[in-house]
Amino acid sequence: MTDDTPRTDGGGAAIEAQGVELTYADGTEAVKGIDLTVPEGEFFGFLGPNGAGKTTTIKTFATLLSPTGGSITVNGFDVYEEPRKIRETIGYMAQETSVDEELTARENIRFAAQAYGVPKRQRADRIDELLDLVDLADVADKEAGEFSGGMKKRLDAATALVHQPPLVFLDEPTTGLDPKARNRLWEYFERINERGTTLFLTTQYLEEADQLCERISVILDGEIVATGSPMELKRRVGGEILDVEIPAGDEARERAAEIAREGDVFDADADVARSEDGITVTAERAREHGTDLLVALRDAGITVTGFNIRAPTLDDVFLAITGEELDSEDRSADAATVTEPEVSAE
Amino acid sequence: MSDGRPGESATHGGTTTFTPSGNSFLGDFWVNFVRWNRKAVRNPFVVVGSLVQPIIFLVLFTQVFGQVATGAIRSGGGAAISYETFLLPAIAMQVSLAAAAGSGIGLVNDMEEGMFEKVLVTPMSRTAVFLGKTAAELLRIVVQIVMILGLGVLLGAEIATGLAGAVGIVLMGIVFSLWYVAFTNIVAVLTQDQESTIIGANLLQFPLLFVSTAFLPLDVLPGWIQTVARFNPVTYGVDGARALMLGEDVMTVLEVTRFGGIWDTLVPAIAVLLALDLVLGGAMVYLLNRASSSSVQ
Repeated sequence: MTDDTPRTDGGGAAIEAQGVELTYADGTEAVKGIDLTVPEGEFFGFLGPNGAGKTTTIKTFATLLSPTGGSITVNGFDVYEEPRKIRETIGYMAQETSVDEELTARENIRFAAQAYGVPKRQRADRIDELLDLVDLADVADKEAGEFSGGMKKRLDAATALVHQPPLVFLDEPTTGLDPKARNRLWEYFERINERGTTLFLTTQYLEEADQLCERISVILDGEIVATGSPMELKRRVGGEILDVEIPAGDEARERAAEIAREGDVFDADADVARSEDGITVTAERAREHGTDLLVALRDAGITVTGFNIRAPTLDDVFLAITGEELDSEDRSADAATVTEPEVSAE
Repeated sequence: MSDGRPGESATHGGTTTFTPSGNSFLGDFWVNFVRWNRKAVRNPFVVVGSLVQPIIFLVLFTQVFGQVATGAIRSGGGAAISYETFLLPAIAMQVSLAAAAGSGIGLVNDMEEGMFEKVLVTPMSRTAVFLGKTAAELLRIVVQIVMILGLGVLLGAEIATGLAGAVGIVLMGIVFSLWYVAFTNIVAVLTQDQESTIIGANLLQFPLLFVSTAFLPLDVLPGWIQTVARFNPVTYGVDGARALMLGEDVMTVLEVTRFGGIWDTLVPAIAVLLALDLVLGGAMVYLLNRASSSSVQ
């Protein structure tokens, strides 16, 4: 994993975690032995469904929760020994938007600047820069309570960056934002990452992880079940994916699945599954054999209304790894922003 | 964010070149003091709103009950004073209670807004954070008691001990407020729920005021209220403030004669309140520590 070299020349690890465990007093094992190394300068994604342990993990890294087992070093400091040093050198954006609604945008950032000890002579400039960065300069002196959800999120992000921390934790920063606001935040994150800041992002949006992150770990039930670049993970699914839309009922779909499985169309290790509106086939060279399947289905008298060949997405990765889809509610909310599945040329 | 590479500012192996000026305790205190004062001024309800109820009490009680109550004060062996004069120190303590209620409400708002956690993740001293907030609240109590004393004097109340007595009443208000500050913070930490805290902090004020010596002297109150009043902190705050207002020993729940004059009221009143402040304050510090510690619960 060190081949994904960080963009800084430091070469060190921003986060070094071994065997991290966190068990709550009521016996809930939220995190069950996580090993993780995040090199400096990386845009790292922590992906998992609700309740998988993402927030708990990020809170142990940010010194808000003390792990019940394992070791963690953040920016070279030990979480048990030097939590205050860690707090000085990280930015943290909580899942829940955290701004003081009775203060203006400028006052919120100033408070953070003072809290993090940004030297007085730099403060005013830094505040103006950040207001520009998150596009709130024109409402800088309005109270944050009047802001939209997206504006508050951006303000929250600005306060997390005020001391130019080398490492920033972002806990589901775009949850609940509309696509436009989300894209805008993504731009800011990419910008600060390009400047060398290590970003640790948790998300349940596969598209977000795919687009932003250099490397991803998938967490499920408190354990990391896969780690790699988005490309690597997608390659792990193998082959191409064929979605066939069949309007007729369950029976026709079941028959179609049988034809895809038993007919001589695909390689033996092809994976055929029922989807919401038809069947999905994952197989090597699905592209070449797709038309054969269509012919076979027509011969069997099954009407096909849609047909799509695509490369695997992180959705498929997630499904393959965990056997479950990410929270379906969130997925449908997300659907508007998901770009059409690519039918890429080879 | 002007010149690239914040990553360069951190090094490894336990040393760092990333040195955010290393905030002093006083610096952290000041930042939070300013924040909470700003929030108070920003929110007119906090400053003016919490004065409305005491003002209504002051004006209506003196108008409606003034005639009757004056008789009660005299039959109770009190000096020939107006009900305004009798009531004003109690209203000053009511102001103190109302403002102290804002402390826990401020805390629970911070928790709900995520600001509590946001502050915890900064390198600020947590003690300084809390002291800065509390100092801002005490400042508000001082300002509001001064305002209500001014209004009371305009309405005809007389502070027998003059300016020194007025200052004394303000200080009494602070000593009196601390246990309620602690109490509302405890409610905030335990419930972590805005509505419960607001209800708990606000509703309790009225029964506490009525079952004390706030509105009438102890000996004209029904027996059971006399009993409850003995154990009600409001009685001690009100008696202390009233002793300063009238310049004489007014305490009837405890018979103390050792110190002479108003000190026979002030010493026991302050002693009782400080003891309560310490007990509740200790509980609050313990709970706040637990809420802000990183140990899992």
